[in-house]
Amino acid sequence: MVCIRQATIDDLLAMQACNLMCLPENYQMKYYLYHMLSWPQLLFVAEDYGGRIVGYVLAKMEEDPSEPCHGHITSLAVLRSHRKLGLATKLMSAAQAAMDQVFGAEYVSLHVRRSNRAAFNLYTSTLGYQIHDVEAKYYADGEDAYDMRKPLRQPQPKKHHHHHHHHGPGGCCSHDAPPAASGSSPPSSNSPEKKADS
Amino acid sequence: MGSSLPAKEANLFKVIVKSYETKQYKKGLKAADSILKKFPEHGETLSMKGLTLNCMDRKSEAYELVRRGLKNDLKSHVCWHVYGLLYRSDREYREAIKCYRNALRIDPDNIEILRDLSLLQAQMRDLSGFVETRQQLLTLKPNHRMNWIGFAVAHHLSSNSSKAIEVLEAYEGTLEDDYPPENERYEHSEMLLYKISLFEECGMLDRALEEMQKKESKIVDKLSFKEQMASILLKLGRFEEAEKTYRSLLFMNPDNYKYFIAVQKCLGLYSENGQYSTDDVDRLCALYSSLKEEYGWSSAVKRIPLDFLEGEKFQEAADNYVRPLLTKGVPSLFSDLSPLYEQPGKANILEELFLKLERSIRTSGCFPGSSHTEPPSTLLWTLFLISQHYDRRGQYDIALDKIDEAISHTPTVIDLYSIKGKILQHAGNFSAAAALADEARSMDLADRYLNSECVMQMLQADQVGLAEKTAVLFTKDGDQHNNLHDMQCMWYELASGESYYRQGDLGRALKNFLAVEKHYADMTEDQFDFHSYCLRKMTLRAYVSMLKFQDRLHAHEYFHKAAAGAIRCYMKLHDSPSKSSTEENDEMSKLPPAQRKKLRQKQKKAEARAKREAEEKQEDEATSSHTSKSGKKQNARPVDLDPHGEKLVQIENPLAEGTKYLKLLQNNSSDSLETHTLSFELNMRKQKILLAFQAVKQLIKLDENSPDSHRCLIRFFHKINNLPSPGTDSEKLIWNVLEAERPDLRAAAAEMMYLLEPDKKLEAIKLIEDSVNSTASGNSVLGPVNEWKIQDCIDVHQLLETIFGDQDVANSWKARCAEYFPYSTYFEGIKSASAAYCSVANSLEDSSENGIVANAQMKSADGETCTLNGTVHIVDELSNLSIR
Repeated sequence: MVCIRQATIDDLLAMQACNLMCLPENYQMKYYLYHMLSWPQLLFVAEDYGGRIVGYVLAKMEEDPSEPCHGHITSLAVLRSHRKLGLATKLMSAAQAAMDQVFGAEYVSLHVRRSNRAAFNLYTSTLGYQIHDVEAKYYADGEDAYDMRKPLRQPQPKKHHHHHHHHGPGGCCSHDAPPAASGSSPPSSNSPEKKADS
Repeated sequence: MGSSLPAKEANLFKVIVKSYETKQYKKGLKAADSILKKFPEHGETLSMKGLTLNCMDRKSEAYELVRRGLKNDLKSHVCWHVYGLLYRSDREYREAIKCYRNALRIDPDNIEILRDLSLLQAQMRDLSGFVETRQQLLTLKPNHRMNWIGFAVAHHLSSNSSKAIEVLEAYEGTLEDDYPPENERYEHSEMLLYKISLFEECGMLDRALEEMQKKESKIVDKLSFKEQMASILLKLGRFEEAEKTYRSLLFMNPDNYKYFIAVQKCLGLYSENGQYSTDDVDRLCALYSSLKEEYGWSSAVKRIPLDFLEGEKFQEAADNYVRPLLTKGVPSLFSDLSPLYEQPGKANILEELFLKLERSIRTSGCFPGSSHTEPPSTLLWTLFLISQHYDRRGQYDIALDKIDEAISHTPTVIDLYSIKGKILQHAGNFSAAAALADEARSMDLADRYLNSECVMQMLQADQVGLAEKTAVLFTKDGDQHNNLHDMQCMWYELASGESYYRQGDLGRALKNFLAVEKHYADMTEDQFDFHSYCLRKMTLRAYVSMLKFQDRLHAHEYFHKAAAGAIRCYMKLHDSPSKSSTEENDEMSKLPPAQRKKLRQKQKKAEARAKREAEEKQEDEATSSHTSKSGKKQNARPVDLDPHGEKLVQIENPLAEGTKYLKLLQNNSSDSLETHTLSFELNMRKQKILLAFQAVKQLIKLDENSPDSHRCLIRFFHKINNLPSPGTDSEKLIWNVLEAERPDLRAAAAEMMYLLEPDKKLEAIKLIEDSVNSTASGNSVLGPVNEWKIQDCIDVHQLLETIFGDQDVANSWKARCAEYFPYSTYFEGIKSASAAYCSVANSLEDSSENGIVANAQMKSADGETCTLNGTVHIVDELSNLSIR
């Protein structure tokens, strides 16, 4: 029904449109480019039979050297019209596997709105995340976020638990508040990393 | 570098530079001023002061100082470099490049400047210049990894992959055997994969394979490695190995359709157009049943065979496919099946199948031939599926019956209301569609998807104000409406633009279309910072594909729609210049010159005051409003002096403005018919006969059977037949060109021309009247899936009224359409005004923004040319229908 594959640069506009269609946390194109050009292995899309992008996961590696190597789910979305197919689970599994295999991540973290029960259930009961912390007033509208984590490195028996797809949340899955206006992480255009002489 | 200064001032100069780098602009400014106190004309100090002011948003002073500094010290590479940086900050890249080049003439080996220059060259795609600069950088600093990589990428970009490979291999030659260290494994792996892709790109497949085998242990991205391996094996014709690799990829991800297609290719069982011999179909069946055993949990394994199976086998497979999904209640089932409707015959088989399932569940509670009792929801989802099936076939009555039954079966399933709204939209009642979408929205206010769908329906119904109020419920980030713009929400801007265009508000329409255009300009800009970033990060495959993506960015659908929308606005402005500006001019022209001048001054003052007030208001908001979570203040937004696009419509030469966007379409979407119809329309208005003719030729080349091509061709010959005989030499020249080309096109023209001849009117009308809407004629399950679209029928009606000017015929057409589209508000079908479809519909019906009013406006707002466009187009399509 729906193809799960790594995203390419040509998917980014459709991913942005999908995000704007179903999540309250939105990002400018540059932020998508930043992910694609930093960790191209960590972006996946769900594409329906007509070629439309109906879901995606946008993920990254945290690069703070003071913390252990870990990945972070920036944003995950599946259109409401494409619920009950287990797409969120498949997208998440694909991104987590890539974090582990390509970057050697020890764990993966994410933020989710306190009120988003459907997403919370997906993360805890289906995907094995646990609450690590609560970030007060994390979202622009003042709502708290759960800071959740899931270990990747402990050798887990890898079994195909297919067939019984978990009917995770529908349209609305979670995620990061947008970076501050000028963009906290992407290389910033305002700082010509340069000087007038040398 | 402050070289001509005494020691104390030279130190101060260093402070300026340092402060600039660390963004301590005030400190830098102070240092500059104390140098200038003693040496008021010191060029480099003036320049640096200007650059500093530029970062403090004092643009005009900045330019003045930088230019004065340069004038005082033309021999200083610092002054030239600063001038270049200033231009760069304003995105004036060509000017910036010139400045850097002047700086390098003075100081040819300056690494900073060379690096800055190389970034601009990458941005502007000055590829030969880029290679040259990267070469210089590598020569100057061969111990920097980035310089090797940059040189290789430069060669690759200028289509010299083999040279790029050489450079990368030379770079590898500088590395120790045990490279890379743990913390650079990813970067090195990316470099290797990039190199392998270069081998593949220039056809050196064996070398690529060899390299992969040699370097496998150093490549951390195993998925890319495997995919690339499989692709190379396939290209080499080593099918067995390729198949094995693809099957192992399928084991990792059985939901990737591309792997299935690839396995088919390995077995010689793939056809681009989906046509297979019966023998092939048998082999495909065998393949997929074996794959089903291996990857039973994959839905692709079950769905793909529906594409190639036919007849009974198709029905059986479809039956097996839909049953579990109906039991489970998968809302996307219909959209998953809908591509099959393009294939002849399959829609009928599906209809039979669906109805059979429905009957069986109703009578026995089980699927046919099964004794397992289905849950009650199975009937609901079956009705849901059938409803969408009839919607797709244009049988809106049955579709609505089915969905209504589903709603009364289980009134709490939101998807039912969304789909009902869509059916009503297709049936022509936009305001009722919006009301239903709103009802769906109100059932789960936390779901933005429902909100977005509702906003879309409201815009389609021309309820722009309501749509905006609804949309901002989800833009929680402070500045409400603008948030949609900041987040580049283009579907919203395009739909708003279209709605304003329909309502004749060209200012707001343009405002929205140009907003989308701006997003694309920003995206082009976005790439700048990645030119150096990716060389550091080594994500070279992604980087190069990003550059290619940028090169075709303006071919993207949203941009195309925005540019086309803007061009249509400009043509309308040309056809009927905006009321406000003509009125104003009239008023002005009545006044004596002195008073006119006074009035103008008054207007200017009022504008300035408005701007000031807006700025003050904004400041208030900024101080009172939130700071973002990182504690930084949100960037101040420049004041929009023209929020409703009133200035946009007062443009002097709308056709010239339209031409700008047309050029972008011609360069980026030359295979779209719309590009050339717009070119035709625009150039006809500009009296550019030859350019219009070129557009016609392009149209015919792309699709000689398209009604659009015919329409333009006819109008073109109609125009030149009515031209006065050529007077000037250039007119004669044009004439000669046309005469020479004419014989080729005459047949096509003659065929269509009669439709426009006044005495052929009856025939044309008869053609329309005799046309038959094939699916509307009852429940027949045979014949192709063929339906009239509501918009086409509206166009025909307008044509009969305006061009043929025959009110009787128009009325009888309207009556017919009212039968076909009983829900249409335009045709006033019997069900269009009937009791509300739901509670919300009632309240909306009263609102001033309701769809009926808008439709009425649309009727009168169409200019003559536009109606004419619709005309032949429709006659053409309907005559096609009648022939079938």
